[in-house]
Amino acid sequence: MRKITSILLVICFLMVAVSFNVFSKQVEIKIWHMEQPPHRVKVFQNVIDEFNKQNPDIYVKQQVLDWMNAYQKTIAAIQARQAPEILFTLPDFTTVIKQTGVVQPVDDLFNKLDKKYDFIDAAVNPYTYDGHTWAIPTYGMVHMMWYRKDLFEKAGLDPDNPPQTWDELLEAVKKLEENGITGIGVPASHHMYTDQAIYSFMIAGGAHEIFNEDGEIVFNNPKTIKTFKFYNQLVNHSPQDCTGWSWAEPQLAFNNGTIAIAIEKGQFLGPFEEESGVDGSNLGGAPVPYPEDGQRGSIYYPNGMMILTKDKEKLAAVEKFLNYLYEPEINGKWLAMEPGLFLPVTNATLNSESFWSNPIVDKYKDLVKLMIEQSKYGRLFGFNHQTVNQNIGKIAGQHILAQTVQKMVVKGLSPEEAIKWGEEKMKEAIK
Amino acid sequence: MKIKHKMKSSWNNTSLFGIILIAPLLLWIVATIVYPLIRSVWMSFTDVDFLGSNSSFVGFNNYIDLIKDIEFWSAFGKSIIWTIGNALLQVILGFATALIINQQFKGKKFVRTWIILSWIIPTIVLAIIWRWVLNSSFGILNYILQALNLIDQPINFLGSLQMAMPTVIFINTWRWFPFLAIIVLAALQTIPADPYEAADIDGANSLQKFIYITFPMLRPTLSVLGLIGTLWSINIFDVIYMLTRGGPAGGTETIPVFVYQKAFQEYAMNKASAAAVLLFLFLLAFVLFYIKVEPTFKEENFLR
Repeated sequence: MRKITSILLVICFLMVAVSFNVFSKQVEIKIWHMEQPPHRVKVFQNVIDEFNKQNPDIYVKQQVLDWMNAYQKTIAAIQARQAPEILFTLPDFTTVIKQTGVVQPVDDLFNKLDKKYDFIDAAVNPYTYDGHTWAIPTYGMVHMMWYRKDLFEKAGLDPDNPPQTWDELLEAVKKLEENGITGIGVPASHHMYTDQAIYSFMIAGGAHEIFNEDGEIVFNNPKTIKTFKFYNQLVNHSPQDCTGWSWAEPQLAFNNGTIAIAIEKGQFLGPFEEESGVDGSNLGGAPVPYPEDGQRGSIYYPNGMMILTKDKEKLAAVEKFLNYLYEPEINGKWLAMEPGLFLPVTNATLNSESFWSNPIVDKYKDLVKLMIEQSKYGRLFGFNHQTVNQNIGKIAGQHILAQTVQKMVVKGLSPEEAIKWGEEKMKEAIK
Repeated sequence: MKIKHKMKSSWNNTSLFGIILIAPLLLWIVATIVYPLIRSVWMSFTDVDFLGSNSSFVGFNNYIDLIKDIEFWSAFGKSIIWTIGNALLQVILGFATALIINQQFKGKKFVRTWIILSWIIPTIVLAIIWRWVLNSSFGILNYILQALNLIDQPINFLGSLQMAMPTVIFINTWRWFPFLAIIVLAALQTIPADPYEAADIDGANSLQKFIYITFPMLRPTLSVLGLIGTLWSINIFDVIYMLTRGGPAGGTETIPVFVYQKAFQEYAMNKASAAAVLLFLFLLAFVLFYIKVEPTFKEENFLR
C-alpha cells in the first residue's frame, strides 16, 4: 500500500512539475491576435511551430480574440496581470490601450528591425507619437473598388475601363441596374466596415480631415456634406440589407453576382474563383473613384503588434521571434494568412520571392501591385497632419462615422443634419 | 445550568456547522454580485472612462447627464417595448402550446421533447441562423415569400427601423416560449380532475372551464413567471446584440445594449455604471410594486 502511495505521489509531483515547466527553462511568449478565420490561424501556427522548433528555449503560442471583445478582454487581462507579451493592434486601438500604461515603447526594437528590413513610412507613422514608437507594424490593408468584369460586359460597359470619377461611377451603377444587376453595394451599418467605406469616399472627396491642426473637430464642412450626399445615392442603389452588413455579406453578394461593384480590401482575391464559379480574370480592381475636384485615395491602415511586457528575458525572446517573423522568407509566408488582404510593410518583403510566389498573389499580381500603389495614397482618420490625435480611439470605438451614415440612411436625416449630429457626437466623445 | 450550557454549546456547534456549509455560497455571492454591484455604484459617482484608469468623485453628474440624454430615454422606451412585446407573445404562445400538449394525442412524447429544441440552441448559433434566414439578399424566408408571390420586394427584417424590433422580439419569443410552455404544462398537471368533473355535471363549456378552473389554478405559477420573466427579459443582451447590435440607428437599443455601448465602445464606464444603477433601481421598484399588488404574494396566500 505504501509503495503504491509513493508511486502515486511521484506521479503527481511529476505532473505538477511538468505543468509548471520546472524542468525546462523555456520562456513563454503569448500572442493575442484577432485573425479569427481558421485558415489564418493555421498559417500563423505553421510559422510559430517552425520558430519553436528552431528555438527550444522559447515557446511561442497564439490565442485568438475577436475585435468585438478585444478591448474588454485586454483590459481584464491587464487588470489581472495576465496580459499577453504581444498584442495585435490597430492605430486607434493603440491610443486607447496605451492609456493603461502597460504598452511599452518599441523604439529600439523597431530601429533594429527597420535597419534590416526597411519599414514603409506610412505603416509606422500612425504608431509614432509622444516621442516613441508604440507598435511594430505587421501588415497593411487598403480599400479598392472591386468590380465584376463579366457583369460589366453583360451591361454593355467596358470592363477594362472602370469608372474613375463619382459621375462615372453613378452612371455605371445605373447602367448595370437597367440590365437587371444591382450596381453597387456599400454598407450603411453600425460597423467598422461602414466607417472605412465612408472614410474612403471622404478621402476621395477631400473631406479626410476630421480634426484641424489644433486638434479641434472639423467634421461638419461642405466637403463632408458633398461626400455624404454622394454616398447616400450609392446606398440607394445598394441591396436594402446593407444597413446591417458586416464583412461577410458584401463579399458573398459580390461573389454570387448580386452586386457588381464593392468597395473593400483585398480579401476578395482569395475565394473569388471558388465562390463565384467564374474565372479569376473576371475580377477587376481599380482605385476608389473620386470627384473632379477631389483626389485619389482611400483608407489605408497598418495592423501592428504592441509589446506589453517589461521582463528582460521575455523581451529578448520577443526580439528573437520578431527578427524571425520579419525575415522576408518567413514574412512572405506569414502574409499568406490572407493573400491579397495583407500587404507587406517592409521593403524587404515587398521585394521577396516568398511574398510574390504565393499562388493567389501570383494569380492576381496586377491587382496586388495596384493595391500597393493605392496604399501610397492611403490615409487614416485621426492620423493626418503628421501627428496622431489620441482622441480618435473614442471616435473610432463608437463608429461615429458609421452612426452618422445610419442617421442619414435609416433615420432619414438630411446629410447636413446627420453631419451636424455626427460632429456633436464626436465633440461629446472627446470631451 | 448544566443543561443550559449544554444547549448553548450544541447550538453553537450547529450554527457554526451551518455557517461553514453556507460560507462558500456566501463568498461566491459577495464576489460575483455584491462586490460588482458596490463597485458599479461607486463608479457611477466618478469620472472613470475605462476600467483601471484614474478617476475622481463627481457626485451626481453622471446621473444628471443621463437624465438629460435623449438616447438613454430612447433606450429605456425600447426596453419597455421589448419587455411587454416578449411577455405578451410568450404568454400567448406558451399558454396555447401547453394546453395543446396537455391533450392526449399520438406523438405527444415526441412533441414534448422536441419543443425545447430552440431553447437549447446556443445564442450565437441562433443569431447566425436567423441572420441568414432573414437576410434580404439571400435569405430563405424572403425567397419563399417572393416565390409564393406574397411580397414584391424582399423585407429588410433586421435592417429597417420599422421591422427590426418586432423581428428581434419574435426571435426571442421563438426561443423562450417553449420554456414557458413546459412550466405551464407542469402546473396544468397539478390541477386535480374533480373540479372539471363537477363543471361537466354543471354543464360548463370549455371556455368556462378555462376561465373558472384552469386559469385561477394556474395563477400562482403565472404570477411567479410574470415576475421572473419580466426581470429576465428586460436584462437580455446577447440575442439583441448578436442580431442587430442595437441597430439600425438605435432601433433595438435597449438599456443593457446602451450600457454595453457606453462601457465598451464609448469607454465611458461612469455613464454605463450610472445607467446600470438606474435600471437596477427601476427593477427594484417594479418588484416591490408587483409583490404589493399581486395577490399571489400576499402573506395569507403564502401561509395557506
